[in-house]
Amino acid sequence: MSKKQVTKKDKQLQKDQVRIGVYVCHCGLNIAGSVDCEEVAKFAATLPYVVVAKDNRYTCSDQGQELIKNDIKEHKLNRIVVASCSPRLHEPTFRRTCEEAGLNKYLFEMANIREQCSWVHLYEKKKATEKAKDLVKAAVAKVVLLDPAIESVVPIIQKALVIGGGVAGIQAALDLADTGYKVYLVEREPSIGGRMAQIDKTFPTMDCSICILAPKMSDAGRHSNIELLTNSEVQDVKGYIGNFKVKVLKKPRYVTKDCSACGDCSEVCPITVPNEFDVGLATRHGIYTPFAQAVPSTYIIDPNICLNQEGILKCDKCIKACERKAIDFDMKPEVLELEVGTIIVATGADIYDPTSLQNYGYRKYPNVITSLEFERLINAGGPSGGHLLRPSDMKIPKSVAFVQCVGSRSDRGHLYCSNICCMNTIKDALLIKEHWPETEIYVFYVDIRAFGKGFEDLYKRARKEGVIFIRGLPAEIHEDRKTRNLWLIGENTLQKELYKINVGMVILSVGIEPRIDSDVIQRLLVLSRTNDGFFMEAHPKLRPVDTPTGGVFLAGCAEGPKDIKDSVTQASAAAARAGILMAKGKVTVEAITPRVLEEACKACGLCTKVCPYNAITLNEDLKRAEVIEAACSGCGTCGAECPFSALYMRHFTDEQINAQIDALTEQDADKKIIAFCCNWCAYAGADFAGVSRMQYPSNVRIIRTMCSGRVSPKFVERAFARGAAAVLVAGCHIGDCHYINANLQTQKRVERLWKKMEKLDLNKDRLQLLWASAAEGERVASKVKEMQAIVNSITKEEIEKSKKMMEKA
Amino acid sequence: METVILASKKLWRKPLDSEKIKPPEAEIYIIRDRCKGCGFCIQFCPKEVLEESEEINARGVHPPKVKDAGKCALCGFCTAICPDFAIFVVEKPSEKKEEEKK
Repeated sequence: MSKKQVTKKDKQLQKDQVRIGVYVCHCGLNIAGSVDCEEVAKFAATLPYVVVAKDNRYTCSDQGQELIKNDIKEHKLNRIVVASCSPRLHEPTFRRTCEEAGLNKYLFEMANIREQCSWVHLYEKKKATEKAKDLVKAAVAKVVLLDPAIESVVPIIQKALVIGGGVAGIQAALDLADTGYKVYLVEREPSIGGRMAQIDKTFPTMDCSICILAPKMSDAGRHSNIELLTNSEVQDVKGYIGNFKVKVLKKPRYVTKDCSACGDCSEVCPITVPNEFDVGLATRHGIYTPFAQAVPSTYIIDPNICLNQEGILKCDKCIKACERKAIDFDMKPEVLELEVGTIIVATGADIYDPTSLQNYGYRKYPNVITSLEFERLINAGGPSGGHLLRPSDMKIPKSVAFVQCVGSRSDRGHLYCSNICCMNTIKDALLIKEHWPETEIYVFYVDIRAFGKGFEDLYKRARKEGVIFIRGLPAEIHEDRKTRNLWLIGENTLQKELYKINVGMVILSVGIEPRIDSDVIQRLLVLSRTNDGFFMEAHPKLRPVDTPTGGVFLAGCAEGPKDIKDSVTQASAAAARAGILMAKGKVTVEAITPRVLEEACKACGLCTKVCPYNAITLNEDLKRAEVIEAACSGCGTCGAECPFSALYMRHFTDEQINAQIDALTEQDADKKIIAFCCNWCAYAGADFAGVSRMQYPSNVRIIRTMCSGRVSPKFVERAFARGAAAVLVAGCHIGDCHYINANLQTQKRVERLWKKMEKLDLNKDRLQLLWASAAEGERVASKVKEMQAIVNSITKEEIEKSKKMMEKA
Repeated sequence: METVILASKKLWRKPLDSEKIKPPEAEIYIIRDRCKGCGFCIQFCPKEVLEESEEINARGVHPPKVKDAGKCALCGFCTAICPDFAIFVVEKPSEKKEEEKK
């Protein structure tokens, strides 16, 4: 795939033939409410090469798209600009429209006048209109210079990886396996099953949890298309959509598949520890199975507590007891290298630990328990044989109180609602009533959220059966030293009176929180997380199980707190989404990789040093750099590094970006902030600020690049030379870069520019660097506000000075 | 006596069945005058049950003594490793097992 050299003459010739159509979308009142779209369209018509400029209500509608298609044919348009929402939303839509009309889809450009204009400047109609004009002007300036391109096709490996073997992971794996794809199901614990296996009954139907889960678990264990990797962890993920290379660490069980799960070994094991599965309410041995229905049923030796450490066999009791000779202390950890096309993340969630809420006395008073401990106590297979025993005296309490929203909806825990706790409590209350009808039950709540199918009925049933609901959480819980009963003191906010209630046992209805080690998966798969800490979906409404990383999908509580039904639904959705990709068998890769301009390349090798993928090599014989197309992801950090402009970054060329800078700085540059935002984090964050209607000053103009690493110092210098008041370079947080670590180059370059500005005696505050994730719209908005103050403080002299200095540079 | 090792800070409760767990009790026999004081049994005991005594035996060395018999897991590694057959461990007949026999 070599590229023909484009001479300046050719370019000029091409330019003369450019015919642009501009479409300004009202998006109902979303844009038209604060931007005068008609005026913007009129303005667009005056721009060079623009043949047609129109405004319409919904450009993305069928009629809107038809209009574009007809105009392409009628007016022989060969470039299209749509000024509407974010390209992250509708660029694919309009690219398809162009293709359908016979126009190469790379000859299309969007101006984001909704998320980054009308929605963030709701009350400044005039300024918003001016900004929209500017953005259209920049898009037109860029579209003139765009080249047609053909995308390369990459095959998709028709195997999937599911990370996490809870109910979501099991469901996703089963669906994909049933469709006919090979699935690797990786689970960190010795058995699949997850949280659902620990729960006694499910709401609202009161089904026995393990009874409905166990068949699914054994299906997953037996399925010929599923390879179960328990006691294993994902260590490394490389590659891209359709072609991931995954390293999985399979830790040794020290028990072979010959194990018949008879349990003779466990009986003779001299070591005893609390059992994780029973939240420490029962014990297990050094060799054990986590629970009766575990899949695989093979026993496991806990290497942390076994007497045989460091390869010295000190105790051989289990070996002697095992008739089938299934114990093998020589097993070693294995690293499996898997090749998969799609990945489903179903890593689940942690349970909130209420110890830090000292007023509730958890860990201080034995009869204050959590809802998960309750599940194990009420479970017939649990440590108490299904008897709700008070830990202090092993007696069944005559009265109990549930405290809601422990760790949820409060700044003393998490701000969000954990979604499941209200219904879980109602279910638990009914279970107590079922076993011990005389028990007095109080539920202290903030709001009862019974929003799902059949939930309200269950709530009503609980009220009917005499469960007392009191609005207002207890301020304090005290213990009666003699009886070990508990006093709950607080305010009933409905009756505006204080209560002091004595009960035998308190159950804290604890919330759900993101896995403490979520950042590992986040880093490996380059995902984003919301402020709550859960993984972020590609679009909250329309792509709820996709992630911004192609080929990676979400299921279950990893994405946010949800009940079993929702987890299963989402898992099936994720499996379907992954299945679609694999059924196609191939995927096209965006044509945004660089071309080496042979004449300009001096073979200095700087580009090879900054490439995060080692996708550029130096050809010593031909004395030039060479791009390995398949390894390149198109971040463009090589292009920013090249001192000779010898790398032609397709779709984000120096020329194109310079044209955008020039267009945006043509008027009132001294009042403007030019912002370079990376597609994945900062630009998405700015979009998020728009979606959330966070208002910020209207003088910022955003230029999108794939990675902040694309931002060459030349661009910043050009912006200042053109008189821009301030420049912002924004990308993903360090460590979160979508291109491994290309943003480290961003940091280096900005630091170098700061030094240079200092040397030239320029106010270096005028250049700012921001790390903001896709969920941090607030950070983007407040940065712009902060920079507005800098812009206000800058004098005309300073602007002139920087113009001169930077022009020289 | 140590019956249960706490696995982590998270699992803090006393397991409900911890009373019922009666780990086998050990009787540790040391034939002091056979010991040549190599210290293997002390060094390799996984539960650190033994320590050096101050007594001097017939061979002129300090034989081991039992520090905490309750910790012994009866793994028998001391018996296996002793070059001089100077130590062995026997399980104390527990009450429960006695009952079973009857």
